[in-house]
Amino acid sequence: MLRYILRRLTHTVLVIIGISAISFIFLHLSGDPVGLVLPQDATQEQIAALRQEMRLNDPIYLQYLHFVTAALHGDLGLSIYTREPVVGLILERMPATIELALAALVLSLAVAIPIGVLAAVKRGSWMDTISMTVALFGLSMPHFWLGIMFIMVFSVQLGWLPTSGRGTWLQLLMPATALGVSLIALFARLTRSAMLEVLSQDYVRTARAKGLSEIMVVGNHALRNALIPLVTVVGMEFGFLLGGAVIIEMVFAWPGVGRLIVQSILDRDYPVVQAAVMMLAIVFVTVNLLIDLLYGWLDPNISYDGRSK
Amino acid sequence: MSFFSRSIVAALTALSIVGGVSSASSDTTTLVVVQSGEPVGLDAMQNNLQHSLNVAFNIQDRLFEPLEDGGVAPGLAESWEFTSDTILVVKLKPGLKFHNGEQVNAEAVRYSMERLLDPAIASPHAGRMSQIDKVRTIDDLTIEFTTKAPFAPILHLMSYYLPIVPPVATAATEKEAFNRAPIGAGPYKIESWERGGDVVLTAFDGYWAGRPPYDKVIFRTIPEESARVAALLTGEVDIIEGVSVRSQKTIEDSGKGTLTDSMGVMPYVGLNTLNGPFTDERVRQAVNFGVNRALIKKALFNDRGMLAAGPISPRTFGADLTLEPYPYDVDKAKALLAEAGYPDGFDTTLSYPTNMTQIQEQAQAIAADLETIGVRAKLQPLDRAVMWEKYQAREHQMYIYWWDDNPEPDRYMYSLFHSNSRDYYYNNKATDASLDKGRSTLDRDERAKIYASIDRALYEEAPWLYLYIIPETYAVGPKADYVGRRDGFLFVRFAQPRTN
Repeated sequence: MLRYILRRLTHTVLVIIGISAISFIFLHLSGDPVGLVLPQDATQEQIAALRQEMRLNDPIYLQYLHFVTAALHGDLGLSIYTREPVVGLILERMPATIELALAALVLSLAVAIPIGVLAAVKRGSWMDTISMTVALFGLSMPHFWLGIMFIMVFSVQLGWLPTSGRGTWLQLLMPATALGVSLIALFARLTRSAMLEVLSQDYVRTARAKGLSEIMVVGNHALRNALIPLVTVVGMEFGFLLGGAVIIEMVFAWPGVGRLIVQSILDRDYPVVQAAVMMLAIVFVTVNLLIDLLYGWLDPNISYDGRSK
Repeated sequence: MSFFSRSIVAALTALSIVGGVSSASSDTTTLVVVQSGEPVGLDAMQNNLQHSLNVAFNIQDRLFEPLEDGGVAPGLAESWEFTSDTILVVKLKPGLKFHNGEQVNAEAVRYSMERLLDPAIASPHAGRMSQIDKVRTIDDLTIEFTTKAPFAPILHLMSYYLPIVPPVATAATEKEAFNRAPIGAGPYKIESWERGGDVVLTAFDGYWAGRPPYDKVIFRTIPEESARVAALLTGEVDIIEGVSVRSQKTIEDSGKGTLTDSMGVMPYVGLNTLNGPFTDERVRQAVNFGVNRALIKKALFNDRGMLAAGPISPRTFGADLTLEPYPYDVDKAKALLAEAGYPDGFDTTLSYPTNMTQIQEQAQAIAADLETIGVRAKLQPLDRAVMWEKYQAREHQMYIYWWDDNPEPDRYMYSLFHSNSRDYYYNNKATDASLDKGRSTLDRDERAKIYASIDRALYEEAPWLYLYIIPETYAVGPKADYVGRRDGFLFVRFAQPRTN
């Protein structure tokens, strides 16, 4: 188990290095931040001086080397605009994004799993067809549009919910739903097919034969095993959630990392974008590692040492 | 605990904060203002982005108050005079204090000026203010500024870019910390700033113009326009910035908001007078005759704003108001092109940054008109930063950019047309000489004449394809009264609760 974790951590480091190099190169090829930082009436000397200070005249591999050297000392640089350490700027806003992603995840699972289970148990019935169709609607709607529609209906027309911002759970409701709706279809269908497969297994028939109640059979024995493929997908979709959160954060003025990244990309605040991309990658990879470890708990047949139990 | 579990705990904690920061509704003592981008810092000296200065200028006052016509009124200063062409003596109002109790005296002004030019602070305004050579205190309330050469825009620039800060507290604070919680002598002091969220300001009793009408002002950020408009329509907020033409009708029809004009935006098409077909003045005039700017303004902007004749906005002093915008005359345009040696027209490119408002429609309309006279302009949309790079590399032939309709003519005429500032696409010694004269003549009427002659000269020389000036719009909810300013800044002390 320990060896497995160490191996995964090594992969993680390689992934982070790769991401940092790629994002660095793309950022620096995408245009000059100097014209955006200085006021419109800046003189040519001022522009040249700032370029020098930001090392923009160095060849790109030298700039990257300088970045890596500093990063290894824990210094991911300063924001071009505020001159504050970027790590602090990002950590300040990370909880908001994670809150949004988790809320969306919890909401979608809370809706999807029961739908999937019911659809599997009542397979072929109208309940099955309808729930799968409704879930598909959610998948097809772009969440940008959905977010704006929610605001129009629930805030402007009905006046039930505040339009934007973060602080109360009422303000979390619309953005989390807008983000989570597209996942409901995926999770529901997956739960349904996993359940169908599990319900036809021998051990389920055994459990029924033993006289256990249907709820015990379905809820405990069947569902627990059906969750395993679902857990994999949740891990993969967490990345989607972090990315999708960017759009939802813009629509609902949610003060998370996504909004910070978008604004920093537009302003060409390289260090912020660089660090944010790397930190999100770390979160994503960590989540996946934890999910893989979760398997071991869910399915005792899985062993990390390459030996079967 | 791993990062993951820690974040779960953090998320659950956040979720459990019920009824925390609620979006304040507008009672008579709180004003909620929404911007489209968030402030990056709140110390006016360290920031240049409009969204940051909009907040900072309410916290930190300057010696003078800027007026809509480019002049200034007393601010922290009571009176001032030019004792010579290069020496300005300013007298402060007596008895004023900063938010933290320090005195607003000559020493504070001297300290503030030096801080502005201090390389350690790296103020984006240092360049603009670098004409000031020396500052010295004469007595407790009197300061003397010396400029390197006679410099007329000095008062206008000082009314924005020299915020006065308390020496003791400022020197004792790290500049990043000061950028998050600045101190000044403005009408509002900072209560809190949740990064990414609200900036909360509270009224300052000791303000020289008296306590402002609102007890509390909240600056909020909502980047998505429809969400901003929704917030106004639900009554959650009082003033919103960044209202495009599309939303203006929605707001007016709803009856829940009124529109007010703010900063004028002056888009223009720069022409490469140094290289290519536009080196010929006749070609430049031809394109000015060949674009129906009046129709574009009507179609794309609901006919708001005004047409531009020459480079100086008609609202700015020094504009030659006898000039008429180039009329739309296809035949004249074609004749000029033929005369210049292009009877069949020519091919060129029209570049523009994609972040400008309604730029795609404008560019397409302009290109379509140009096509009619034979100038086949290929559209080249570019990202803002790439556009800037190519601009400096002198790669454009025709490029669309904009400037704000500033009441001080030197502000952009010098920046855009003087070869010291930019010589990428235009370089004319005669214009340089006139611009130098315009900025060093202290008498306003004399200056007006000089700029009027520059306006006329450039009108004929046509280094640009002149377009129009379109004001940006703010929308104001039913509970507040606010009139937008030409400089586009949100001085919220002028906002009042509506009493009907």
